[in-house]
Amino acid sequence: MKKNEIESNQTIIDKAGNKIWNFFSSLKLIITVFLTLAVVSIIGTVIEQGKPPDFYTKEYGEKIAHYVLSIGFHDMYHSWWFLILLALLAANIIVCTIDRFPQKWETAIEKKYGAEPRFIKNLANSAHFTVSGDVHDIKIKVAERLKKKRYKIINADAADGASIYAWKGVIGRFGSDVTHVSLILILVGAIIGNFWGFRGYVSINENDAVNAPQADFKVRLDRFWIDYYNTGEVKQYNSLLTVIDNNKEILTKQIYVNEPLIYKGTWFYQSNYGVAYDRIREAQLILKNKKENKQIGEPFKVKWYEPFKIPGTNLTVNLVGFISDFGFDEKTKQIYARSLEHNNPAIAVVIYDGDKPISDSWLFLNYPDVFATIPNSDYNLTFMGYSGLYYTGLSVNNDPGTNIVWIGSILMTVGFIFAFMIFHKRIWVNIKRGENGVDIYMGGMINKNKILFEREFSELVESLKAKWEVGK
Amino acid sequence: MNFVLFHITVALYLLATFAYTSYLFSHNKKVSGISNKILVIGFLFHTVAIITRGVEAGHLPLTNLHESLSVFSWMTVVIYLSVNARYHIASLGSFVAPFALLLLITASFLPKEIVPLVPALESYWLYIHVPLAIFGNAFFAMSFLVGIMYLIQEHYLKSKKVGGLYFLLPSLDVLDELGYKCLTYGFPILTAAMITGAVWAEYAWGSYWSWEPRQVWSLITWFLYAALLHGRLTVGWRGKKAAIYTIAGFMILLGSFLIIKFLALGEHGRL
Repeated sequence: MKKNEIESNQTIIDKAGNKIWNFFSSLKLIITVFLTLAVVSIIGTVIEQGKPPDFYTKEYGEKIAHYVLSIGFHDMYHSWWFLILLALLAANIIVCTIDRFPQKWETAIEKKYGAEPRFIKNLANSAHFTVSGDVHDIKIKVAERLKKKRYKIINADAADGASIYAWKGVIGRFGSDVTHVSLILILVGAIIGNFWGFRGYVSINENDAVNAPQADFKVRLDRFWIDYYNTGEVKQYNSLLTVIDNNKEILTKQIYVNEPLIYKGTWFYQSNYGVAYDRIREAQLILKNKKENKQIGEPFKVKWYEPFKIPGTNLTVNLVGFISDFGFDEKTKQIYARSLEHNNPAIAVVIYDGDKPISDSWLFLNYPDVFATIPNSDYNLTFMGYSGLYYTGLSVNNDPGTNIVWIGSILMTVGFIFAFMIFHKRIWVNIKRGENGVDIYMGGMINKNKILFEREFSELVESLKAKWEVGK
Repeated sequence: MNFVLFHITVALYLLATFAYTSYLFSHNKKVSGISNKILVIGFLFHTVAIITRGVEAGHLPLTNLHESLSVFSWMTVVIYLSVNARYHIASLGSFVAPFALLLLITASFLPKEIVPLVPALESYWLYIHVPLAIFGNAFFAMSFLVGIMYLIQEHYLKSKKVGGLYFLLPSLDVLDELGYKCLTYGFPILTAAMITGAVWAEYAWGSYWSWEPRQVWSLITWFLYAALLHGRLTVGWRGKKAAIYTIAGFMILLGSFLIIKFLALGEHGRL
């Protein structure tokens, strides 16, 4: 290849590169992306997200549903084109920030002193007045006034006068850059969460421990309870959880809505609860005389799998089973739960005479005394009631990107404070000995919020004029 | 007690609205002073009404639509009073007073009973996120009203009919700057509300972002205002274009608010 061919190839690449760069640094693109994101997000709220395909066919009909599904409007926030829009936003922000930064930096650090009256007169705000006195003395007084207003200043002396450059709030210029970086961080955090994060659900019965999903430790529910207001409305749902790691109880925490448990980066949230269908805490029973159907002694409570000796007898009861909605399949002779509702609660008990098991039967809350509960004896057991066993439903979440999102959020707040509350103000002063005294030329500029500065500048000028009693 | 104060506030805002309207017709400076005074008295009653309600409820009165609209109205008046203290634009009151009144009247038709906090609202973030959200919206409402004033003033200038409201309304430059200023407050506050909302969601729902309708709509609003601010700062969307955009932005915000509220979408449905 000849030398100038290489060069011309180089220029083509350069030109193409420039074009791409210009495309991404254009403000029109960012506004278009912002508006497009807004519009498609609107569609995302109108069309319900993340439903099975049938749902859309039912809702919109075959034809429209086809489009919805093939474009990906049913799971928009995970669709490739939504991600491309976000990528475009990110690329745009990065390019714009890099593109504008050098010039901004120049303006920010540039310290223009020795400004001539001609330059000052052309500034957005400018003033000229004449005072009497010594040039050096006047310079110090003006500088003091500016320092009092928290301006940083540098000054220079010339043969026939002096000049001052004063500035403050440079950081305000970089508010947008900080905001842009923060937005990128938030996007990065969100993407990390999307790919490496995990969301799940686990339900735990009271006194049970389960393996935490996608983690190497266990969580036990010690207790679930509901707090009520005096009026009877629910105040709070609470779970007392214990983390068991390596067979050791690490920590116990009461969680409730708005107060999760956090262990090894996994968060557990109170999200659901219920009463177990296959277990209870305890049952209330009565022992009766079979012949006269008369109660013997006081009613008593039997705890789950804790054998209980009935006072005044030789009998021991062990509560070994529970079904909330008892069902019996005639064909297979199988016992099963018809539903999770407590429609037909039944308990299974084993009864011992001394050490010898004498009976193993189901007792029904809705049908007391229908079946002989202790065959071949004078006694009958009646199932009077029970206290159920709660289970808690926990959302489980592990999102390694969250902290990056928070850092981004804090940075964004800082960026906004810089951008919207701190303004770069610059003032140039030229002091020159003239025919009628000392001429003071003052001019100033602000990067935003011009009306605010206009007022501030004229106040400053007035206060200086007042000092030398100009116009009196 | 808070109901009595609430109704006194409504009456005073109504009176203020009449006074400001008569200012528009009479062009009498004295009338504008009186209108401002009535509004301030109404505002004081409003403040006491909100505090009383908070004390009676035992928590921040921001847990249903009636309460949020009332606080929204209150914040709009706060912003107007501070703008007026600096810029002396009494004519803005002619737009703010009816707006604040409208919010209160809407609130008065909504269920007003004090109800205990539901578990999801039992959080300190309620005290940070909700006021920020309403405050941000109040600034957008203000930019909307200023945008309308801009269009009216522009109409007078264009038609060269110098009369009517022309002398009462501030100059186009001031209106433009004021509308922009409202955005420079509203936008960061909206962002702060979204961030604190995300933190709250992280604690309450287990995810800082779940594409819940109100979250999505706040993001849409955020994109819209971000586009407007960029257009203003760098391409130079100013004046009429910016005013129309600001008005449209607030309409979208308001529309989304009503849709979410009345279709009771998502977890935010109650507010």
